[in-house]
Amino acid sequence: MHAPASSVAPGTGQAIAFTVLSQLAGAAFLYFVLKAEGGWQIVGLLALLGAGFYLLERLPWITDYAMASMARVPLVTFATAAVVVLGFPFVVGSNTYVLHLLIVAQLYAVLALALNFQLGSANIPNFATGASYGIGAYVSALLAINFGLSFWLTLPLAALAATLFGFVIGIPSMRTRDTYLALVTIAFGVVVQQLLNNFDWTGGPNGLVGIPAPSLFGHSFADPLVVFGWKLPSQANFYYLSAALVVVAIITAHRLHGSRIGLAWNALRADEIAAKAQGINVAWYKVLAFAVDAFLAAFAGTIYAFYVSYISPDNFTFLVSVTIMTMVIVGGMDNIFGVIVGAFLLTILPEKLRAFADYRLLFFGVVIIGFLMIRPQGLFPQRMRRYGGEP
Amino acid sequence: MAELLVQQLVNWITLGCIYALLAIGFSLIFGVLNVIHFSHGDVAMTAPFISLALVQLLATAVGVSGPAWLIVAALAAALAVGVIGIVLDKTVIRRFRDAPAMMALVATVALGIVIRELIRHLYPQGSNPHAFPRLVSGVAFEVGTVPISWFALLVVLLTIALVALLFFFLKMTPLGLRIRAASEDRVIARMMGIRDTRVFRATFFIASAIGAIAGLLFASYAGVTRFDFGVMAGLLGFSAAVIGGLGSMPGAILGGLIIAGIEVLAQTFVPDGASYRLVFVFLLVIVVLIFRPAGLLGRPVMEKV
Repeated sequence: MHAPASSVAPGTGQAIAFTVLSQLAGAAFLYFVLKAEGGWQIVGLLALLGAGFYLLERLPWITDYAMASMARVPLVTFATAAVVVLGFPFVVGSNTYVLHLLIVAQLYAVLALALNFQLGSANIPNFATGASYGIGAYVSALLAINFGLSFWLTLPLAALAATLFGFVIGIPSMRTRDTYLALVTIAFGVVVQQLLNNFDWTGGPNGLVGIPAPSLFGHSFADPLVVFGWKLPSQANFYYLSAALVVVAIITAHRLHGSRIGLAWNALRADEIAAKAQGINVAWYKVLAFAVDAFLAAFAGTIYAFYVSYISPDNFTFLVSVTIMTMVIVGGMDNIFGVIVGAFLLTILPEKLRAFADYRLLFFGVVIIGFLMIRPQGLFPQRMRRYGGEP
Repeated sequence: MAELLVQQLVNWITLGCIYALLAIGFSLIFGVLNVIHFSHGDVAMTAPFISLALVQLLATAVGVSGPAWLIVAALAAALAVGVIGIVLDKTVIRRFRDAPAMMALVATVALGIVIRELIRHLYPQGSNPHAFPRLVSGVAFEVGTVPISWFALLVVLLTIALVALLFFFLKMTPLGLRIRAASEDRVIARMMGIRDTRVFRATFFIASAIGAIAGLLFASYAGVTRFDFGVMAGLLGFSAAVIGGLGSMPGAILGGLIIAGIEVLAQTFVPDGASYRLVFVFLLVIVVLIFRPAGLLGRPVMEKV
């Protein structure tokens, strides 16, 4: 059944056909899931997804084949991906609900990628990603409302504030570990959320209202986007903005994974003492993981705040952090593609489970427990690092 | 001033005992399975609902009611929750004992969601808060002018009795010895012929039943219970167990008293402290863990090469 290694290497034509078709198929599947209504359609699509993963599990050469063909024609791969991402709002048309789901899914994908630096790469628990996300949202919103700063100025300032917070949470990580460290991060998350809930200048439990829409080159993001005569709803602005952020996050994650920092994190995960013995500055790399996480999470928070124009402490609770963590674990730790799939799945699935009305949270919990028992390594398990001459 | 002090002292001891009982469950389960059972708080908070349901059942089906039957229902609920603990262990939690710590944490958080949603759906009008009566009422005696209620006395005496019983059980009985052996080193314990399934069963029953009693006392103290009380009960109990040192029984009790102490202090002496109490509690948790990374009475983590 297993194809020999030589036949895994596809020809150029085959590779082009495979990458284009597989990405289009993925996009079509996403489209149908987003459009699906009613319980049976959802169940059917989920069954299809399950069958797909079963196939991948039984025939591992498919994954190798996909990786090989994408590596063979990288330009075609990226071009197809760009066309799919740019063209999606045109296909969706005026359905603002679908666009809203996609924006939230993309923001969660960024958050999951951010957490992946710690949980996936270095195996450091962090239940404070939701807090960093909230700090990003609140700092940018407060700056915009009180000082009239533009979105583009608040973005780096919010990221800076959250990064400082990341350093602060990172400091106890030098001494505590595992469960104890998990509790420290939970504690930080609860403290931040409770403070946001109690301070007067953050609006207390009512949150902040009336965050102005950003604008770029005189085009306000609250207006519909007109491209070559096509009129897209105003959500399309934020769709492209968050898509750009996902791209930035992917590039950051990819570059860090390939750098000495990523290697150091992996060494930490494998064996902390051995890493220390090799001269890796363990404390610094741990703190760095927290800072990078907070930095990216703040970007997502800023976009979220400006997108919904209303934030409250309820958006940044402990359960949000747990959801982000679940995305990383379900998708596959230290696998960029897997983490993104996990984020999309866990954002869209609960929304679609509205067909089960009041029972969706119950269903969600059962699905997560079942998933962790059946497939603890995640949908896309981490791949071995490859060094040097990649084909 | 003195009155206020005595009153707050009573509040502190009462709340501290409840947290200590919750923390003991976390500590016991972690000691044996090396798993954080994050839904322990939710399991514990099913007890008030079960006993309310039992009280209604007794009133409608058998036609008896009154304070004595409330106690009977509460005891039955504690036993039932112990059984729920065994079932959860068998079906879900045990499978994560060898998994990475974070996996178990996320799985039990999800389990907590499931338990809360089940309460909400199975109990009539489960989304609403339900009044929960004091298990015992009346004033036992007065210190100066401050009345000390029978309830406060019950909490303290029950906690002392349960802790004493637990210590006796762990130190003096064969099953207690096996639990201690398994928590020391599960593999060696297996080699010595200790069936770990029995140890797990006993641990979960005891931890869940003690948690249930804490849940009942908590609902009774607050006068009300709601399906999502388990989240905070779980977080506070877990924090108490961790700052005391996971796996240490005296640590769990100390941790419970400290957490309750901070909460009461914040409420009494800080203006607007009631709304900031969780901030104080969790800042304290952070500070304690920075200076004592394995908790106050925990065994320091040895790095083995």
